[in-house]
Amino acid sequence: MKIEEMNFEESIKKLEAIVKELEDENISLEESMEKFEMGIKLSSNCLKKLNEAENKIEELARSEDGKLITKELNLEKEN
Amino acid sequence: MEDCTVIKTKIYTVSELNQEIKKNLEAGYPDIWVEGEVSNFYFHDRKHMYFDLKDENSKIKVVMFHHSNRNLIFDIEEGLHILINGYISLYEKRGEYQIIALDARPVGKGALILAFEQLKDKLEKKGYFDITHKKSIPLLPGRIGLVTSIGGAVIKDIIQVLKQRFENFHLIVRDVNVQGITSSDEVCEAIDDLCGYGVDVIIIARGGGSLEDLWAFNTEKIARKIFRCPVPVISAIGHQTDYTISDFVADKRAATPSVAGELVILNKKEAVGNLKGMVKRAESLMKSKIRAYKKEIFFLIKRRIFIKPETLLDRFNQNVGDLNVRLKNDIKEYVRAGVEKLVNLYRMMDKKNIIKKIHFYRMAIGNVNTRLFSIMQYYINLKKNEIKYILEKVADKNPVNVLERGFALLYDAERKKNIKSIKEAGINQVVKILLKDGILSAKIFDKIYKKIEPGLKNEN
Repeated sequence: MKIEEMNFEESIKKLEAIVKELEDENISLEESMEKFEMGIKLSSNCLKKLNEAENKIEELARSEDGKLITKELNLEKEN
Repeated sequence: MEDCTVIKTKIYTVSELNQEIKKNLEAGYPDIWVEGEVSNFYFHDRKHMYFDLKDENSKIKVVMFHHSNRNLIFDIEEGLHILINGYISLYEKRGEYQIIALDARPVGKGALILAFEQLKDKLEKKGYFDITHKKSIPLLPGRIGLVTSIGGAVIKDIIQVLKQRFENFHLIVRDVNVQGITSSDEVCEAIDDLCGYGVDVIIIARGGGSLEDLWAFNTEKIARKIFRCPVPVISAIGHQTDYTISDFVADKRAATPSVAGELVILNKKEAVGNLKGMVKRAESLMKSKIRAYKKEIFFLIKRRIFIKPETLLDRFNQNVGDLNVRLKNDIKEYVRAGVEKLVNLYRMMDKKNIIKKIHFYRMAIGNVNTRLFSIMQYYINLKKNEIKYILEKVADKNPVNVLERGFALLYDAERKKNIKSIKEAGINQVVKILLKDGILSAKIFDKIYKKIEPGLKNEN
């Protein structure tokens, strides 16, 4: 799976696994270089996912014809 | 009988008597409360309930019709100690009296608690609370669904916690009544709507309250809805000490609504810190690894091989020689085995098959030939016999043969006409008698009419 297609959870799990693998002393230099590079890509993917989430609070309701609609949540209206 | 009519005693039919007793019973016990233990419970078509109410010494039949029992929140079951309100009536068909129960309540504990325990028990047995059915809550949900009343403090608490943890979250709220008779249905519908709209996780939340207040979250309907919800559900009903059925079924229970906010999304600062930590660790591991390799290279460079590399080459040369010989032999062997295999295949596949087929057809043709031959032989024999028989028959008809056996043939004098009847010959007529060895000439001197019977010997 390509790193860009991974979700946050998959990325962070893979990153944890890579760090663990790098701790292994028997791993070859080439392999550790590859893994390290992948780890850096994964961490930036995680950071991207953390920041790209939408910042929205909406209310889901049904319109008069029964369709689902979302509108901005107004907490003051019932008080 | 006659005496009865004389003394004018009223004679009932059975129906009349039962009707009268019924009337008296219903008038005598129109509104009674009775307490006892349920036994012989029978729920006919899940509509009408039939059971006995008993104590140590006695029992009484009870019927609770559908319209009375459908509002019970707990299940009446075998052995349950209950208090019943109703009236006594009589079932005329059998002449049995019974309580018609209109209401029932458990003795010893509240109906709500009993109903809660019964449902919890039932769902637990069905596996609704099994850990194997629990879905994991995503670390970073893109859309968070929230089912709660937007009028309460709960939603504000949750939003506040979310803001502290993660400034850019996406929350979709579905407003419901979290109390009252419609509440349970509203929550179920809200879960469906959020799933339909598309969320990654759903929080169901309401503040604390009494068992009655929280009742909407203790129904079987909600339990089923949460259990079958394709999206993970966090149940956050009431305070730390309140437990509802939805808490047990949900994929995660939050002790309070604020806790739900903590469970539903990771803490962004912590996550970023964790990520940075991991990258740092990876970097330092790489650095130490590179250092270790440098050291090794440095050490290797000083070894003989690098100072006198020809020695290594010598060994390689020898190895290559060995390998060449082995490779040649291997290839030879490989080709030979392949050819052998091919030859075998050719033999097995082609010849064997074709020869087999030829054999088969030969045998088949041979069989037909032999059969044809024997059939023809049979017919030839048959015809031979037939011909022989006909020849014998023909031989019998030959007059010469007849003469041989001692018979004679009679002709006129000119031997032109064969005389077969005495009518054909006249008295004094000269005739010729043909015998096997010659002819006699004779004269007829008398005619005697006599029919010669077959089988009789000639009299002359």
